[in-house]
Amino acid sequence: MSLSKRFKEDFTTTTIALMSIAIVINIVAGQLVSMLKLPIFLDSIGTVLVGLLAGPWAGGLTGLLTNLIWGMITSPVAAAFSPVAMAIGIAAGLCAKYGLFKTWWLAIISGVIIAVFNAVVAVPIRLYMFGGITGSGADFITSYMLALGKDLFGSVVVTVFTSNLVDKVVTAVLAWSIVKALPLRITGRLPRAKCVVTAA
Amino acid sequence: MLPQQSTATLFIDTGSWVQQLHPFTKLSYILLTGVTVYLGLSGWKYTCLFLLVNAVIVASARVLKQTFHTLGRIMLPLLLFMIPIHGFLYPENKTVLLDAYGMTLYQEGLVYAITTLSKLTMVLMASLLFVFTTHPADLITALSHAGKSPSLAYLLGSPLLLLAGMRERIETIQSAQRARGMQTEGNVVRRFCSLAPMILPLVIGAIVEVEQRSIALEVRGFKSTSAKTSLRILSDSTVQRLARWLMLLTGAAIILFRLIS
Repeated sequence: MSLSKRFKEDFTTTTIALMSIAIVINIVAGQLVSMLKLPIFLDSIGTVLVGLLAGPWAGGLTGLLTNLIWGMITSPVAAAFSPVAMAIGIAAGLCAKYGLFKTWWLAIISGVIIAVFNAVVAVPIRLYMFGGITGSGADFITSYMLALGKDLFGSVVVTVFTSNLVDKVVTAVLAWSIVKALPLRITGRLPRAKCVVTAA
Repeated sequence: MLPQQSTATLFIDTGSWVQQLHPFTKLSYILLTGVTVYLGLSGWKYTCLFLLVNAVIVASARVLKQTFHTLGRIMLPLLLFMIPIHGFLYPENKTVLLDAYGMTLYQEGLVYAITTLSKLTMVLMASLLFVFTTHPADLITALSHAGKSPSLAYLLGSPLLLLAGMRERIETIQSAQRARGMQTEGNVVRRFCSLAPMILPLVIGAIVEVEQRSIALEVRGFKSTSAKTSLRILSDSTVQRLARWLMLLTGAAIILFRLIS
């Protein structure tokens, strides 16, 4: 199949509508979590879902646009991290493509893989744009690692990975259970959903 | 429900000359700023000059107060964390500036923190100028004029309109689940357990709606490639077009120069 044809198949009207909903879910899920006062963000659940249901390209685009819109409604700092959100979507899509979302325990492994992708892209941005500090609670881990004598790069890697690991695993497992719970009528319209569902 | 008149973004309607500019002109300005700040000029003289010039532009766009307010809101926590952490703990610290109460403040860390903060302030200022003076509808119109596909414009625009409805739905789900006995307070484990009953109905409900949405879009000729007339008219001029190209070329030249040297 040629690339442009595959692109067309990945971006049907259904996919576009799904992506727009996923962007909104990304933005409001954070609000829900802060209401429950949980120590996770869950701000990429929509991105991961699109990655599972519509492939890595659609997932990446959803992440990118989420952060750009975030930049327009709260603060432009979010837009600086849009490549990170894009990496999460691509990672989730690739994991699903290679069958890493078939069972709940495989979803946990995928969560770890997504956290690694997240760190690979987030660390350079955090390091070069923000000097390793983002003005949040995670900065205490960075300063603790620095106080232990680690270099700045190592400290930021540890901070980004540890503060995102639980979040990404919970996100992956939730996304898996959501796709499992979707009615067949919906998943039938999304060709990529087969990667997750047919294992049952 | 009627579509909301006010937008959810940071946009402020002032009718200034910056607001009249084409969104792409302002976007190229952000790009040029980012490239210049991180790859090109450095030094406090350029920083001061740049901040002054930008302050004048922001003031003439009549969003000076809001810009400084938002800048303060974003930069203050960063400042409070960055100055002490790098001042005390930056790995390349050598020169002692201040030694009191068993804490040592170093010069290298302080310089590093201030450089990072000033670079960030410059990029942030250019981005805030864009965000404050660009109506989301103008950006969407510009995007759909530029490309043939309306998809990107839809993806940027529709979430802004769907947000309010989704927020309301969260509240509905929360009160429904509470009425069934879900605990939203208590220890971490209990709160974690109430995550699924909140998020699953929200997301599944939204995804089920996708089918109707896509049919509605198709019926309205969403994927049709014929030219459509737009209600909003964007002002664009040859000068602006030239300025855009000039800014993009300068940015590319700086990147190229950096790659070579």
